[in-house]
Amino acid sequence: MKGTDLFNLQELLSRQKLLICFSGPFSHSVIEELGKAVRNHLETEQIGKSAIMDVFSVYVEQAQNVRNYTASCEAAGRPIPANSGIVVIGKDGDHYVVSSGNLVEADAVPVLSASLDRLRGLDKAGLKAAYKEQSRKPREAAASGAGLGLIDMARKASRPLDYAVRPVDSRYFFFSLEVQI
Amino acid sequence: MDSLRIEATSCSPLIDFDAEAGTLRIEGESYPENSFDFYAPVFSWLEDFLKEPAPAVVLDIGLSYLNTSSIKCLIDVLEMLDTANAQGRPASVRWHYDRDNDRALDMAEEFKEDVTLPFDILAR
Repeated sequence: MKGTDLFNLQELLSRQKLLICFSGPFSHSVIEELGKAVRNHLETEQIGKSAIMDVFSVYVEQAQNVRNYTASCEAAGRPIPANSGIVVIGKDGDHYVVSSGNLVEADAVPVLSASLDRLRGLDKAGLKAAYKEQSRKPREAAASGAGLGLIDMARKASRPLDYAVRPVDSRYFFFSLEVQI
Repeated sequence: MDSLRIEATSCSPLIDFDAEAGTLRIEGESYPENSFDFYAPVFSWLEDFLKEPAPAVVLDIGLSYLNTSSIKCLIDVLEMLDTANAQGRPASVRWHYDRDNDRALDMAEEFKEDVTLPFDILAR
C-alpha cells in the first residue's frame, strides 16, 4: 500500500475515533493478543475495572463469534474468504464502542437478523430472562458456542445492539454489529 | 481415584481437583479457543468422582472473567454438584471475587440463583 493510501486509511480510522483495529484472518492467538492490547490501553484510562471488563468481554464475544462462524463454514466444506473479518474498538464521547464485521452466507442472514431484532426489543429484565433460558438449554453437539454471546453483549450494552447486513454477491452478505458499552 | 490438575494459561484457568480431600479449585480467567474441549476432562473427571460415595465436596472458584461458552460449561459443572448434593453427597461452592470488580460479583450472584447447594460469595 502506498504512503498516501496508508495516511488516508489512518486518518479515516482516527476520524472514527478508533483506538484499535484488526482486519484479517482471526486466529485464537490474534484474539488473545489484541485482547491484551485492549486491556492495557483501558488500564491507562481513568475507568473502573468493571468497565474495562465489560469492553473486554464484548470484544472477546465478537471476535470469537467471527472466528467460530468462519471455522464452522470451513468445517462444513464451504470456506469463506479468511481475511474478511474486522473488529474495531473506538470511543464515542463517554462510551466505548466495539464493532465487528464479517461475511456471512446468505442462508444465515434471516436467522441472525431475527435473533438480533428480538434482542433489540427486550428490556433489561427481558434480556436476563432470555439469557437464563438459553443458558439452561442443553448444548448442541456441533456448536462451538453456547448461543449466549449476543444476549450477553446486549446485557452489557448501554443501548440496543445495532446491526446491518448488506449484500456482497449472490453468496455472501456483509454482516456488521455495533455494541456501545 | 487420581486427582486432576491442568495448569493455567493466559486464557484458561487452573483446574486443581483433589479426589482424596474432595477439594476442587478453578482459578484464573476462562476464554479458551474452544471451551467445550477445555472443560471436557473436567466433566468426565467429575462424573467419575461423583459416583464414589465420599468425601464431601467443596468447589473453590476464583474466576475473574469467563466468556459465554465458559459460563455455559461452569453452569453444567455446578448442576452436576447441585444434583449430587440433592442426592445426599454434600457439596458446596465458595466463590471468591476481587473487591474492586463488581462484574465478578454480579456473575457469582447469577450462578448462585440457579442452584440450591450452599453457595458462599466471598470478597478478597
